[in-house]
Amino acid sequence: MRCIPESPFRSLGQTSGNLVSPNYYSQRNSFSTVQKEYGQITGVADDVARLIHKHASRPQTGASLQTLMKTGRGEFLHKTYDDHTHDDNSKLATDKILMQVASFLRHELPIRLAHRILDLDRVPHMKEMNSVKQVRDLYVTSFLELLSVEKQIQNMKEEEAFAAILESIYERHASVLVQMARGAFELRAAIRNGSISHDSRLGSSSGRNSVKFDAMEDTHAFLDRFYISRIGIRVLIGQYLSLRQPPVENYIGLICLKTSPYEIVKRAIDDAAFMCTRKYGDSPEVIVTGKLDLTFPYVPTHLHYIMLELLKNSMRATVDWHGIDADYPPIKVVIADGKENEDVVIKVSDEGGGIPRSNMKRIWSYLFTTADPAIQEGMVAFNENVDHSIDSPLAGLGYGLPISRSYARYFGGDLSLMSMEGHGTDAFVYLTRLGNTREPLPI
Amino acid sequence: MFIRSTQRCRRCLPIRFFNSSSTPLSLSEEVSILVNEYSLKPQTSVSLQTLFRTGRGELLENFDRNGGEAKSARYSSSPEVLMQVANFIHHELPIRLARRIKDLNDVPYLSDMSSVQAVKDIYISSFLSLVQEPTIDSPVREALFARKLELLYERHSSVLVQMAKGAFEFRQMLKNKEISSLEGEAFELMNDTHAFLDRFYMSRIGIRVLAGQYLALREPTMEGYIGLIDQHTSPYGILKKAAMDSSYMCENMFGSFPEVVISGKLDLTFPYIPTQLHYILLELLKNAMRATVEYHGNDPRMWPPIEVVIADGHNNEDIVIKISDEGGGIPRSNRKKIWSYLFTTVKPEIQKALMYGNDDELVDHSVHAPLAGLGYGLPISKSYARYFGGDLSIESLDGYGSDAFVHLRRLGDSLEPLPF
Repeated sequence: MRCIPESPFRSLGQTSGNLVSPNYYSQRNSFSTVQKEYGQITGVADDVARLIHKHASRPQTGASLQTLMKTGRGEFLHKTYDDHTHDDNSKLATDKILMQVASFLRHELPIRLAHRILDLDRVPHMKEMNSVKQVRDLYVTSFLELLSVEKQIQNMKEEEAFAAILESIYERHASVLVQMARGAFELRAAIRNGSISHDSRLGSSSGRNSVKFDAMEDTHAFLDRFYISRIGIRVLIGQYLSLRQPPVENYIGLICLKTSPYEIVKRAIDDAAFMCTRKYGDSPEVIVTGKLDLTFPYVPTHLHYIMLELLKNSMRATVDWHGIDADYPPIKVVIADGKENEDVVIKVSDEGGGIPRSNMKRIWSYLFTTADPAIQEGMVAFNENVDHSIDSPLAGLGYGLPISRSYARYFGGDLSLMSMEGHGTDAFVYLTRLGNTREPLPI
Repeated sequence: MFIRSTQRCRRCLPIRFFNSSSTPLSLSEEVSILVNEYSLKPQTSVSLQTLFRTGRGELLENFDRNGGEAKSARYSSSPEVLMQVANFIHHELPIRLARRIKDLNDVPYLSDMSSVQAVKDIYISSFLSLVQEPTIDSPVREALFARKLELLYERHSSVLVQMAKGAFEFRQMLKNKEISSLEGEAFELMNDTHAFLDRFYMSRIGIRVLAGQYLALREPTMEGYIGLIDQHTSPYGILKKAAMDSSYMCENMFGSFPEVVISGKLDLTFPYIPTQLHYILLELLKNAMRATVEYHGNDPRMWPPIEVVIADGHNNEDIVIKISDEGGGIPRSNRKKIWSYLFTTVKPEIQKALMYGNDDELVDHSVHAPLAGLGYGLPISKSYARYFGGDLSIESLDGYGSDAFVHLRRLGDSLEPLPF
């Protein structure tokens, strides 16, 4: 059983901009020319700004896990292709499905990117950080590159060219999470140095602490919007690109129809235990109970990310609280589900000492971290283009929990943490079973 | 000034309070002005710490700090302490009552319900009776004030059930579409009404704690107590008592009860109001037992135990109590409902019978409380926990069970939340 698929596009090489077909920007030949000229010639910059505004004013279209599955199965094709008689059992991604999905992405992605670009333009303080400016440039580049493709993808040649563009965009954006984390780090440093409180818009009457707090709250909300939108964009592209790969049993694109929480928990336990042992020489036992035979449609990589994050935290807390080589109380995982329940719920309980209630807000923040600033700097500077790896540079940045919650919320679920100071912490992962919730789309 | 207002009140009292007509009453102009005047004064929020330090006499100007320990061992509340507290209450309660009266007067729809009007009348009469009271400058006056407050305290004990009646009537009207035909409007109305009730009940807890604390200070001293506050409240002791009570109730209803296993810091004590903690824990254990029995069927041998953990460490800000059952849990989409005063799973006929039963039984805290079936237990428990800066949360695993977390401030230094 292939529970945690390798990213299907990781192995694919970079594609060149030459594949871009003639289009809106055809007079400039290729996207790379656009990229070069953007920012140098004001006339072009104005054009670009107008395009961004135009697209940002259009509504975004939310997809649900169900829509993704049904589209992948070709269940929506009759709406556009009357003559098509499709086989319900066939999980092959036909050419027509691919063209349908590609056309949708050609329509949807520029809108989503434009929403983000405007948000990146407006966010106070953050927008002045170097790494954030780079992210913005990346978004603009990809936005223009998408617009360079014809609106309707009508044959397989166009579809292939479009897929090549999306592959390169997907690759190029892999480092965005780390770049934004670097931006947040720069902001934190700027706030600490007091260079931000000179900002006139915030007024000098409010003390430095309130400036700090306001900036933090706004920035956090901005980052939350940014990351949840990024998850959506990457799911849409990732789903499309995996539909193009040879079909895998039980999979429709990224979605495993028979995702087994138990299998994923076991895998995450192995990974977390490996990391814990590497650091402390030992790791606490994990006992899994509940509906071990349950399966449901989900994106296994998302669930693995969430479970690994929770188990890592629980193991570290348990070892820290009880001391190395102590007799560790086991971490307990319960997988819950009943007939016709709306949710699959997974509880992870540890006796790792918990945290005070007043710190609960911080664990969800992108801007607080317990990691040493020097270590953070090292991590952020370490430019590894992956979000999901075990050695992710984000590990020490305190991003794991808020990102995990965004993953859970993306398909309509949630993640909550209840902590008992002096005892331990319980984490509750709620995953919608039917997958019929539309993605949350920030502004 | 007090005399003038007294005269005003005497004039309006007979008309206002013994009027049996069912037409909506508006406040008489004089009362309205007076209520308005008081409602604009700032409320003074107290903390658990203030309550017990006041009770000990530590906040008296001439309190002898060196002799404090010796004194507190033998003190029964001194006349000075009682007068200080009485004067504070005399100042504070009319302000809080006036704010509630305005809120009761302004809340849409609910203000038209006869039971809500009856509550408003009780509030107005208590308000007027307090503002008439002269400054308490002697032990004799203090004793008279206490006598009066005791009567008010009694008179208000039925208010919770009366408001529940009002909410019930409101629900019926919504259901019969007598109020709003628009779906969205009805929802908003529900939210507004819920928020109103939340303010009302939270404020009521504060008022009853202040009055109750003062009246308890006048009683013969109980070992370890300052008024209502037990300086050595033992969560374990209260859990055992609540488990016994809820086992008794469960046995009455189902013939047996699931086991309760308590672990953690069993020897921990901290200053708290034991009756409030008992109310919260009884509510949670009752729910956990009922869920366990209903989910696992008739054979008591099949009932998984309810597990309780008491958590605490050195210098923690909170004491946390977790109650876990395997009673099947609830779906996430129902989670909002369990905190609402306006949703209940109990059939309307039963609710009606519960609320319109014998008026003598209208008490908040009894084991036979008529509120048990009204779905008020959880939101009220949460208000109790929040009142002293704590909280109550429930996480539920649909198809498995629920975990309730009670957070209680260890130092009791958080100020009461005072709705607007």
